[in-house]
Amino acid sequence: MAGSSQDLLPGTLEMLILKTLDCGPNHGYAIAQYIQRVSDDALRVGEGSLYPALQRLLIEDWVTAAWGTSGTGRKVRFYKITPAGRKQLRHELDRFAFLVGGINRILEAV
Amino acid sequence: MKPWKRIQFWTTRRGRERELAREISAHRQMIEDEYLSQGLPPSEARAASLRRLGSSELTAAERSRDQWGLLWLEALLRDVRFASRLLRHRWLLSFAAIVTVAIGVGANTAVVSVLETALLHPLGLRDADRVFTATVRFDNLHMTHAPDSGVEYRELHSMTNIFSGVAAIEGRDWTSEMHGEPLRLVGRAVTADFFSVFGQHPALGRFFDPADEYAVVLSHRFWQARFAAEPSVIGQALMLDGKPYRIIGVAGPGFRFPTSAEVWIPLQLAPERMAASQRGNNMNLGVYARLRDGARPAQAASRVNAYVAALKSPGTADAGDLAKLSYFIDLEPFSQTVSGDLRRPLWLLWAAALVVLLTGCANISALLLSQTAGRRREMAIRLSLGGTRLQILRQLLVESLMLGVFGGVGGIAVAAVAISLLSNLSLPGQPLLELVRLDYRLLLYGLALALLSGLAFGLAPAVQLLRDSQTAAMARGTRKRFQDVFVAAEVCAAFVLLVSTGLLLQSLWTIEHIQPGFDPAHVTTAYLLKPKQDPGFKHRLVDALANAPGVEAAALAYPVPMSGDGGPTSMFDIRSRHHQHGEPEWHGEAYFVSARFFETLRIPLVHGRGLADSDNESAPLVCLIDRKLAERFFPDQDPIGQEIGMYSGWARVVGVVANIRGTTLESESRPVVYYSIYQIPYFDQAGVVVRSDTPGAPLIRAAVKQASGAAPVFDVRSMDERIAESLGVRRILAQLITVFGGICLLLAAVGLAGVAAQMVSERAKEIGVRVAVGARPEQILAHFLGRGLLSALIGLAAGVLAAVILERRLGSMLYGVAPLDLATFLAVSFTVLVVLFPAVLWPAWRASKIDPQTVLRYE
Repeated sequence: MAGSSQDLLPGTLEMLILKTLDCGPNHGYAIAQYIQRVSDDALRVGEGSLYPALQRLLIEDWVTAAWGTSGTGRKVRFYKITPAGRKQLRHELDRFAFLVGGINRILEAV
Repeated sequence: MKPWKRIQFWTTRRGRERELAREISAHRQMIEDEYLSQGLPPSEARAASLRRLGSSELTAAERSRDQWGLLWLEALLRDVRFASRLLRHRWLLSFAAIVTVAIGVGANTAVVSVLETALLHPLGLRDADRVFTATVRFDNLHMTHAPDSGVEYRELHSMTNIFSGVAAIEGRDWTSEMHGEPLRLVGRAVTADFFSVFGQHPALGRFFDPADEYAVVLSHRFWQARFAAEPSVIGQALMLDGKPYRIIGVAGPGFRFPTSAEVWIPLQLAPERMAASQRGNNMNLGVYARLRDGARPAQAASRVNAYVAALKSPGTADAGDLAKLSYFIDLEPFSQTVSGDLRRPLWLLWAAALVVLLTGCANISALLLSQTAGRRREMAIRLSLGGTRLQILRQLLVESLMLGVFGGVGGIAVAAVAISLLSNLSLPGQPLLELVRLDYRLLLYGLALALLSGLAFGLAPAVQLLRDSQTAAMARGTRKRFQDVFVAAEVCAAFVLLVSTGLLLQSLWTIEHIQPGFDPAHVTTAYLLKPKQDPGFKHRLVDALANAPGVEAAALAYPVPMSGDGGPTSMFDIRSRHHQHGEPEWHGEAYFVSARFFETLRIPLVHGRGLADSDNESAPLVCLIDRKLAERFFPDQDPIGQEIGMYSGWARVVGVVANIRGTTLESESRPVVYYSIYQIPYFDQAGVVVRSDTPGAPLIRAAVKQASGAAPVFDVRSMDERIAESLGVRRILAQLITVFGGICLLLAAVGLAGVAAQMVSERAKEIGVRVAVGARPEQILAHFLGRGLLSALIGLAAGVLAAVILERRLGSMLYGVAPLDLATFLAVSFTVLVVLFPAVLWPAWRASKIDPQTVLRYE
């Protein structure tokens, strides 16, 4: 349990979700799994954060949702990134890179 | 964030909640699948998945809902529900607050509706501030606002660089017929640009061309009443005095000028009527000018003044006369023409209604403040449970805004009732008041006022409550100060309004007791249109009236005293001598009467003889003068036998009668000349005055019918009614200001009592201790009495100061009483103290009855 989404910088969870969906549409459980797996268990997205974040993205029109069937045959909601979402993702990535750069410079300063 | 999207999400939130629940349950099942695939037994896998999801299922749902937003709306609804419970609980206070706001807002909205119709957008004309009424003033004849002759019209009309249009109108009335009864139809003859000066467009057909002659435009109301709003009237003929006029158009529904006009016909002004020599003759025209775009009213005034000054400069033809009479052309904003005498009273009423509303707000504020003590705990608990100060402030404001909204709705109902009562008033401006309507702008005004009031009286207690809940004792001191200020302000407002009441009532009383110089009791009056080409009519009518049963005396008179602006006023010559330089201008107001006029109205003959039946068409021209004329222009000589020239040549003065007041009780009459109505038959209308034991109206109608058959009778009223009507504005103003002042005083009393009672209950324990250690009840009583009276006295002092500054503004609304009348100030101070004393005494008395045992044991 190296960290939960509460510890992330604000807005970062949305960025991660958008990045995940950038590879293709997916459902909530799979998004959580993906983030956890790719981050080598460093990031764990709780359901209590994941679903509100998805609702926020829906309101902003950055993703759309549609019911479908998962690989295991369950009825789930698939989220798909929209062009506006892609644009937002690029924006977030830039912002994040800028931020990380700043943090790095502080950490490397002697 | 996109607001509309939020609203969309919020409105579909029930479906979304279900969707989310399904989604999260699918999520849990997939976790369960995961555990199953790791080899856990099904029951454990399920339990583990539930554990892992745990409360986050709830959090997820809740926080997602938060995302759908409109949180504020839900919170608001919650606040409203809470507030309505609270308001129901404190129903007496709520009821008092709502009634107070309703009265304040209602009075304001009603007064502003009248202001709107009379002054701000007179008669619904949007850009009426660009239209001016040109009137003539002769300072040396004491004539102002006199109608114009053709000359002024021609002159203003030629000032095209400053006026874009100038119109002249002249009164007309015709005999028409409806259901077999002769009917008087009122209208105006107007020049072709009349409608464009007022920016009007026809509802149907067209308005006048300069070429139109026997054409008529109908008012919208007349078109509806007489022609059932039938569009095919265009092109039909309307018979006016037996001549056909082609209907060419219908005016818009909003256009009602003059308010009495039902039809308009073209006015052709003969060139000779506009010749320079005709200045001051035939002054029957109303002239209205519209300013050219970009021209300022001051420019127009100075242009006209310069023109008139040039006329009076030495060497020009009429310079001597005009300078002697001190002749001017005045430009008056059209709104003033429309509102006339109602203008100042309306502003006064508006100010008074605002004062009532503000006093009401202060009162509610003070009462709400006295409630804050009981809610301090509630606020403390809410704050400690994590409620933010903003949330609490919002909650408190929602409470007072709800009171405001309810009050506002009530106020609009009050205004609607008040406006419907207006049309039943008997006032000189009554036709105008009938046009007053509550439209959406006024409804908005009322509601906005109510919400502002809610905010105003809610803010102080809310802020106080928040401060209270944090810093207990210190802030309570401020609350006291707040309350004392509010109560003092109420007393101050009540005092100012009551002083106005006192002054207005005194003026009214003084005027009501002015003797008009004649005996108005049992006199009935009416007007009629004389039949054309019927010289014998007047004689037949006088005979018929004289012989009617119950008639003591009857006469014809034009105009009837107390029925308008009095008789036509002009200069005259005296045959026997020349006007000396420095002597007052010889002028007089003319009345045209039949022989028994003076007997009917019981006007005493001072000297010489009265008019006789033999002073008829074939007899030499005679006249009577009143005492004022005799004293002013024949100071050292016997006027009897003198000849004056005013109408139709030289008329011999045969008698002098006492002065009467012919226009209103309060205005001094001008010198008067009475002519025989038979000898000067210039006017289409004639008035009738009848003194009778039995009701006069049917007598007059019957006599007119007997004498002619087809002469319309109108404006039938007793002389007492006419006098009452001329006092109507004053009377209603005095009544309304009395009511407003009374309300303020009542509010002040309630506020004072409420605040004092609050103070007593807060300090009950302290009083108990004092009594226990030996304070006598009288001491306690005196203490609280003094405390309460102090704020009343401070308010009174402020009121005196405010009244000294403000009462001067009553100006012409006062008659025979000075704005700073000491007796009124003293009497009102006394009244205020008498009413407020019990309000202070009662809580103080209760304080003195506090039993220390009860209070101290209560702990």
